[in-house]
Amino acid sequence: MFGRVQIIFDQTQLRYGEHSALAPLTLSLSEPRIGVIGLNGSGKTSFARLINGLAKPTSGTVTLDGLDTVKDERAVMAKAGFIFQNPANQIILPIIRDDIAMGPKSRGLKGPALEAAVDSVLDRFGIAHLADRRPHELSGGELQLAALAAVVVTEPGVILFDEPTNQLDLKNRAMVKAAIEGLAQHAIVITHDLDLIRDYPRVLVFHEGALAFDGAGTEAVTHYVEIVGA
Amino acid sequence: MRSLYHDGRTVMHRLPAGAKLAGLMVVAVLLFLTRSIPLLAFAMLATGTIYLGLGQPLRVAIRPLVPILATILAVVGLHLLFNGVEEASVTGLRLTALMLLAASVTATTSISDFIAVISQAAMPLERLGLLKAADIGLAVGLVVRFVPEIITRYDAIREAHRARGLTPKAGTVIAPLIIATLKDADSIAAAIDARGIRGQ
Repeated sequence: MFGRVQIIFDQTQLRYGEHSALAPLTLSLSEPRIGVIGLNGSGKTSFARLINGLAKPTSGTVTLDGLDTVKDERAVMAKAGFIFQNPANQIILPIIRDDIAMGPKSRGLKGPALEAAVDSVLDRFGIAHLADRRPHELSGGELQLAALAAVVVTEPGVILFDEPTNQLDLKNRAMVKAAIEGLAQHAIVITHDLDLIRDYPRVLVFHEGALAFDGAGTEAVTHYVEIVGA
Repeated sequence: MRSLYHDGRTVMHRLPAGAKLAGLMVVAVLLFLTRSIPLLAFAMLATGTIYLGLGQPLRVAIRPLVPILATILAVVGLHLLFNGVEEASVTGLRLTALMLLAASVTATTSISDFIAVISQAAMPLERLGLLKAADIGLAVGLVVRFVPEIITRYDAIREAHRARGLTPKAGTVIAPLIIATLKDADSIAAAIDARGIRGQ
């Protein structure tokens, strides 16, 4: 089901001026489901943005299947999809179908093949009825699924989710959780929703800009709760 | 801002977007070259028939035209007052015909087709090395896409004022609106990069 994807952080550090967003980090990731948890400002999002090249390391390197996120930025972005915290900002065309078509279109797909790819991904996420709707008419969960469909249609190897269940009600949360579980791609999920990643084989806990724990989901959650003191 | 596109299979729907826009341009020029009231009346009837023949429910078809019709009526009223019946008739018929044809093009052309035509039209500028044609199309799409979001945010800021017992004022509404919009612009730009859409 999952193709092999390997992400390597090698002495990777990210600083914004005097502020260290991520302390030097060395690790290798290849599990199909990886959770990332931590307090606000702990370095989770910086970590994810380094993986798909949205953030450039101040020192060290990040590679995705051997591709350097700085030197091979475009190839890396094609391999690593990103679902942003606010999916409304990710849907950039006024009609959902057009937005989903935009990614594959810009990669050269057209005609019936393009339509088939869009229809297939709309069906897969159960949002075919939203195809001709406008983003501001959709619920939070529907927006997440539309944003996910727009990423999945380009067939990346790994998808990064930045707080995908943030501000979603129970029904929409379950919908998004099921969609992530059903993905053929690797998924790296940054979240405050501990139930979402509790069963993941690997969860990273970030604290004050550094990796504080790296292990199975249940242990990581216990460790996180200890750190927070909740 | 709602989508004015109406799905259908009429001849207008099947025409290429570029041909429709070019046709609209030509007809617009022709409408301004004539002052013949019978000819303009015919043009208005013809464009009205095209528009009403697109298969939209009458209410749906009329609603988006109301503000434009009101503007045309105001212009016609002014002409009646200052320039007489003939000038008012010519202007009213000309603008109404133009509105109906433009509405027909809008109702039968999807945003992505518009973007494709605009990108194509900008190709000569790309060949001159002045810009990337696809970016122009993308910019148009972004404007159409995010205007409703900005309006929603504007309403939310006004509501927040009222919830705190404050009267919304331009100064206190516009500043947070601009800040929030600029902040969103950053994440939208990041999303465009992440989706690999620009500069392919």
